[in-house]
Amino acid sequence: MSQCFRRVAATAFAAGLCAPLSAFSHAALIEAETAQAIRLHALYDTGEPMSHAQVIIYAPDDPSTPWGQGVTDRDGRLEFVLGNEPGRWSFQVRQSGHGAMVHMEIGADAPVIMTASSAQGWGQRLLMVALVAWGALGTAAFVYRRKGGRNASA
Amino acid sequence: MHLPDGIVPVDMALAGYAASAGLVALALHRIKALPDPQAEIPRVAMLTTVFFAASLIAVPVPPASVHLMLAGLMGVMLGWFALPAIMVGLFLQAMLFGHGGITALGLNGLILGAPALLAFGLWRQIGGRWPDVAAFLAGSGAVLAALALFAAIVLAGLPAVIDAGAERMALLVLIAAHLPLALAEGVIVMTLLRVLRRVEPRLVPHG
Repeated sequence: MSQCFRRVAATAFAAGLCAPLSAFSHAALIEAETAQAIRLHALYDTGEPMSHAQVIIYAPDDPSTPWGQGVTDRDGRLEFVLGNEPGRWSFQVRQSGHGAMVHMEIGADAPVIMTASSAQGWGQRLLMVALVAWGALGTAAFVYRRKGGRNASA
Repeated sequence: MHLPDGIVPVDMALAGYAASAGLVALALHRIKALPDPQAEIPRVAMLTTVFFAASLIAVPVPPASVHLMLAGLMGVMLGWFALPAIMVGLFLQAMLFGHGGITALGLNGLILGAPALLAFGLWRQIGGRWPDVAAFLAGSGAVLAALALFAAIVLAGLPAVIDAGAERMALLVLIAAHLPLALAEGVIVMTLLRVLRRVEPRLVPHG
C-alpha cells in the first residue's frame, strides 16, 4: 500500500513538474532601475500652459526623424526618459500652428544643459516699443520738416 | 497669430518668402507710380509702430488669449504702403519679441499682407459710398482672411508624425477664439475712421 502510494506520489510530482511548463510563458519579468527623467513645461508667452500640445523628440544622431513623441498634460507638462546617447537632443512642442523648439545638450557623464528662449519682462518690451516708436516718430518729423523746408523755400 | 520657426517645412517657408517678395515688389512698383510717395511716410511710420506694438496686447478670450492683428486697419489706412510696413513690423516683432520666426517671415507676411490688400481693395470699392460698412468689413474681413490663410498653411505643412486630428481640433479652437477679435477689429477700424472724418478729414484715406 505504501509502495503504491509512493509510486502515485512520484508520478504526481513528475506530472507537476511538467504540467506548468506552458504556464511559465505568461510569467512577468520586471526589472527596475533609476534613470534621469526630463520634465518639460510648455507655456505661451502670455503665461498660459500649452495644454495637450504635441511633443516631438529628436535624437542627436538623427535630427530629422522623430525619436519619440508625447502629449503634454493639462498644465502643459510632460515627463519622459531619454536614451543614453550623448549629444544635442531637440524637443518641438506644437499646437495649432504655434510652438517652439528646445535643445538639450546631454554629455556622456555631464549634467544636462538646457537652452531655450526665455520670456522677456514687460519693462524690456516697453523699452523696445518706445525705441521703435521713437524711430518712427523721428522719421515722420524728418519728412514733415523736409517738406516744410521745401515749401518755405518755394 | 504668427508662425514660429520649425513649424512648417523649409520648402514652404521658401515659397512664403517668394510670394511675399512678389507682393512687396508689386506694392513698391505701385508706390513709385504715386505722385508724391514721400507724403505718406509719416503716416506709414506711425502706423508701423502701432502694428508692431499691437502684438503685445493680448485679449483674453477663454480658454485662450488672442493678439490684435490690425491687418485691415493697415490696408485701409496705408493702401499699397501696408505691405512694406507689415513686413518691417513683423521683422521687428520676430527679432525683438520672438513673435513669429525669421524663417517663417515670408509666410507671416503673406498671412497678414494679403488680407491687408483685400481690405484696401474693399475700401477703395465701397468706402466712398458706405464708409462705416466698408471700414467694418475691411477690419473684420481681414482677420477672417488671415485666419483662413494661417489654418491652410499649418494644415498643408503638417508633418506625417503629428496627430492630424488633434491639430485640426486645436486649430478649430484657435479660430473660434479669434471670432470675437474679428468683430472687435471691425469696430476699431470703423470707429477710428469715423473719428478721423470728424476731427481730421485730411487723414481719411480716399483710395
